[in-house]
Amino acid sequence: MLCERFREKLTDYLEGALSPSEDRAMGEHALVCPVCHELLNEVRNAIRACRELPLAAPAPGLEARIIAHTTPEREMTCAEFEEHLTDYLDGFLPAPLFHRWERHAMLCPRCTDLPGDVVRAIGACYASLAEELPVPVGLHERILQATLGTTEARHVRAPLWARLLAWIALHLQALRLATLSPQFATMAMVLLVAVLVGSTISRDGTISGLYRTSWRLAAQTYARGANTAARSARTEELRKVTEAIIGDEER
Amino acid sequence: MGATKVLATGEGAELARRARAGDGAAWEEIVATYSRRIYNLAYRFTGRVEAAEDLTQEVFVRLYRSLDQYDPRQGDLQNWLMRLARNLIIDDYRRRERTPQETHAEDIEAHAYHLRAAEASPQTEVERHELSAQVQAAINRLPPDLRVCVILRDIEELSYQEIVDLLKIPEGTVKSRINRGRIELARILRRMRVIGVDAL
Repeated sequence: MLCERFREKLTDYLEGALSPSEDRAMGEHALVCPVCHELLNEVRNAIRACRELPLAAPAPGLEARIIAHTTPEREMTCAEFEEHLTDYLDGFLPAPLFHRWERHAMLCPRCTDLPGDVVRAIGACYASLAEELPVPVGLHERILQATLGTTEARHVRAPLWARLLAWIALHLQALRLATLSPQFATMAMVLLVAVLVGSTISRDGTISGLYRTSWRLAAQTYARGANTAARSARTEELRKVTEAIIGDEER
Repeated sequence: MGATKVLATGEGAELARRARAGDGAAWEEIVATYSRRIYNLAYRFTGRVEAAEDLTQEVFVRLYRSLDQYDPRQGDLQNWLMRLARNLIIDDYRRRERTPQETHAEDIEAHAYHLRAAEASPQTEVERHELSAQVQAAINRLPPDLRVCVILRDIEELSYQEIVDLLKIPEGTVKSRINRGRIELARILRRMRVIGVDAL
């Protein structure tokens, strides 16, 4: 086989398109002719290199530009784009709108930086939050003066009756917490009434006298009305609370 | 003035009860605990130090008179107090909206200067104060209806529903105002060079 004939048939040979006899003749020539042998190897390597070439990534926005040119009715206006910005950032944009929105962001030079700017603006708001302004000097005093009539708040005490009621309410709460039976809540009310009634008939007129009278009245009321079987346990609870009240007062 | 204090559950209710009964110390503690937050909220809306001080005082006076209405069963003291404060501050804001005033950029700058001078902060602190003052200046330039929504959403971090309840306007309007407000804020901050390619 002549070298010229070998070069003519080289592509067919590499693609396996020759008859068996031609194929054999090509193989034999490549074995005996060093020039054609070299050529065969070079062409084979070149084809392999071409096949191994990586695919080039499309330029950014290419797809968006193609769609914009082929189906302009699917384009979004800048006003629509802005209208959907927060929904886009919140992830609430439905798929068809989402793609049109992103396409607009890619193509519109006026809008392309806007989403990033909005995210940075929200970030700036959050960052500024980290540094709260201190309360100006003297503002607390102004507030106290305007509400309590004095800046010496600690000297302003609740009236005696208010403190007394608060105290009773607090202990009634403790009583309620200690109660296992819901009926016992009624007993708490009896105690409250007894304390209020007792305040008018305290023999010595003192606060501790008032409490003792209250306790006595409450105990009497309770003894008359309560169920005998439940009495021991409940009285124990009642006594605890009352002792706390009296003890507190004596201290 | 230290960081904002946090009261334990139930502690607020007890303080409110004592303050309502006339206990000055309890009221002083409520003032000390919440004044910083309320002052900052007032400052966001007024954008002026003096106006924010006056408004904070007014809010506390109203809170003091309303303590009787606080019911611990309907939530803790902080929620009740901040809800009331927000309502009062927004009412005040809407009143002022009807009588437009000039911008107060110089007041904000004076405040930022005051902060720098008062605390002799390291560089990063100064930058942070500057950012805070710049964000406030940008917020002040927003149209009033957008400003209130941006403050409530991106600074007070309220949900859409909470803003709807507070402003008593439809949810669609709230969303649209937040959206337009954010875009406007971003453009203002970009013009001020607070954000952009070379900023941040």
